[in-house]
Amino acid sequence: MKLTRREFAVGMTTAIASMTLPRLAAAQSPLVVPTYGGLWAKFWEEKLLPGLTSATGIQPQLDVGLGKDFVAKIRAGGGRSPYSIFMGNENIAAVLRAEGFFEPFDLAKVPNAAKTFPQFINKDAKGIRAIVSPIGLAYRTDLVKTAPTSWHDLWENPEFKGKTGLYQIGNTGAVLFLRLVAELFGSGPDDFDTAFAKIKELLPFTQASWSGEVATALIRGDAIIAPVDWTEIMTLQDKGAPVAIVAPKEGVLAFEQSFNLVASGAEKDAAHAYLNYILDAKVQQDMAKAFYTSPSNSESVVDDAMKARTPIVGPRMAEIKSYDWDSYVDRAAEIADRWNREMA
Amino acid sequence: MSAVGAAPRLEGRGNRGSASWMVVPALVLLIGFFALPYLTIITMSLREASTRAVYGDGFTLAHYTTALGDLYIWGILGRTLLIGATVTVISLLLGYPVAYHLAKSRSRWTSLLYIFVLSPLLVGLVVRTFAWMIILSNNGVANQALQAVGLINFPLQLMNNPLGVTIALTHVFLPFIILPLLGNLQAISPDLAMASRSLGASRMRTFWKVTLPLSMPGIQAGTILVFVLSISAYVTPAMLGGTGGRTMSVLVVQYLVDNFRWPAGAALAIIMAAVAVLFVGLYLRLTARAMRRLP
Repeated sequence: MKLTRREFAVGMTTAIASMTLPRLAAAQSPLVVPTYGGLWAKFWEEKLLPGLTSATGIQPQLDVGLGKDFVAKIRAGGGRSPYSIFMGNENIAAVLRAEGFFEPFDLAKVPNAAKTFPQFINKDAKGIRAIVSPIGLAYRTDLVKTAPTSWHDLWENPEFKGKTGLYQIGNTGAVLFLRLVAELFGSGPDDFDTAFAKIKELLPFTQASWSGEVATALIRGDAIIAPVDWTEIMTLQDKGAPVAIVAPKEGVLAFEQSFNLVASGAEKDAAHAYLNYILDAKVQQDMAKAFYTSPSNSESVVDDAMKARTPIVGPRMAEIKSYDWDSYVDRAAEIADRWNREMA
Repeated sequence: MSAVGAAPRLEGRGNRGSASWMVVPALVLLIGFFALPYLTIITMSLREASTRAVYGDGFTLAHYTTALGDLYIWGILGRTLLIGATVTVISLLLGYPVAYHLAKSRSRWTSLLYIFVLSPLLVGLVVRTFAWMIILSNNGVANQALQAVGLINFPLQLMNNPLGVTIALTHVFLPFIILPLLGNLQAISPDLAMASRSLGASRMRTFWKVTLPLSMPGIQAGTILVFVLSISAYVTPAMLGGTGGRTMSVLVVQYLVDNFRWPAGAALAIIMAAVAVLFVGLYLRLTARAMRRLP
């Protein structure tokens, strides 16, 4: 079976052309909107994107994945990002920001930003934390005698010894908890030595990669208390699980979905319009109803029914501890390594 | 005559040419999806680290020297290889009798046994691993059953360690050793065993002296397959291993995906691949030598 040079050249040209065509097609594609799976994807498909199209005429394309997948695609894209707008936890967004992939929003093109609680707008509009899922202390109502009221209860209530669930360091929940513990027991959210020492006192604890896994540990009874987001616990309650969640008196943490304008994106005006729509008071309300987030728009209507399920709304949004992640980026790898070695 | 005349045309220049075209897709696939990604990973592993860019400007061997000088990494590498070897040995011990039975059986229930053998592959990986979590957790089915019959007073740690990973990987990779063995055992002529028996050898001696040696190629293929799949598995160790059962693939993904450390993660991936190639090469050499010594 001998391949002539001409045959080889034609074959290779065809193959390379077939690989290049999708790229050319992608260059002409509309605004690509990244979001997460499950309830999020359902909401985006059924409500958010049709609403965006009727409000703005933009016909976006949905891309479902994890924040870290979106990071990989933007990094791999180099000067040709597949997205014009990024959505991911603020600590993850900070990595791409530090690497120069983002540029500030033009707030004149995002009128709803003026109605957003100011703590969620990064300095110089370098990212807006538009979707907020508070994290409180969740516990098993049938297995815990004294319900928690403070983060300190994790250390002080003997019921919780060996029965605590925590996120593993790959999840934003773990780094948020680390910084909270540093703040509660140390000199501030960057006092990681103190945080590590205090968290080691909680060993042994169940470690989970994502909220669903924390929920599974709670349902199995392997953990009877864990810091988890309201979304997860409300969903479990809807299914009849004996779980509750409280906002500790020191304040709550939150998964803050940071929206950022990608510098090499092709659809920057559409990206601004999309963010503006996400920040809309009604859209924020609808999201809160669909998956128990806390509206970031100060004009969103928060009725008693909503407050009963997700109490961190309206003025109580000030209880959310929002950290600055730009300096953390330089230490993230070292801290992840340290967690792996010490929290075993 | 015409048929005889047609034969040279089939092997003529024109047909050789059209057959050559068939090589191109495989060649492109190999270059595009194997060689190029590996080259990219190797290049990435030599890049300097940076927190202000995906990677730094220069090239360095630091990721390799750091990893190879780190006892923690060596510990995880050793654990990964140990899990791979344990899964392989257990799979062989469990799988051989099943493959032997399937090869010899003439029962009408054989097809049902085939379905049982393949059953681990018929359920999604994440679903299957979740099922193992329900079985092996502290309050899981296994611990509850052991406590109910009074064998234990406190729950055993069956997951978040290498044990849970080994159990779940053995379950899923068992078909990968049974199927190559089955093909091999079915190809062994029954006349050989009959000849051995007619010359006075017992059933056991016939198995040890005739069947087992002749099934060595199947054992070799199956064990390599299970070993390589076990050491490179990700989902099962990630979900069942916890911190105590963390393997290299989990660590590599953590470096690459969780910490965005592409150069260091790529170096770990290359180290893992090199160790796997080394072990498989060594094993092939040893088993080939053993097979040459067979009667």
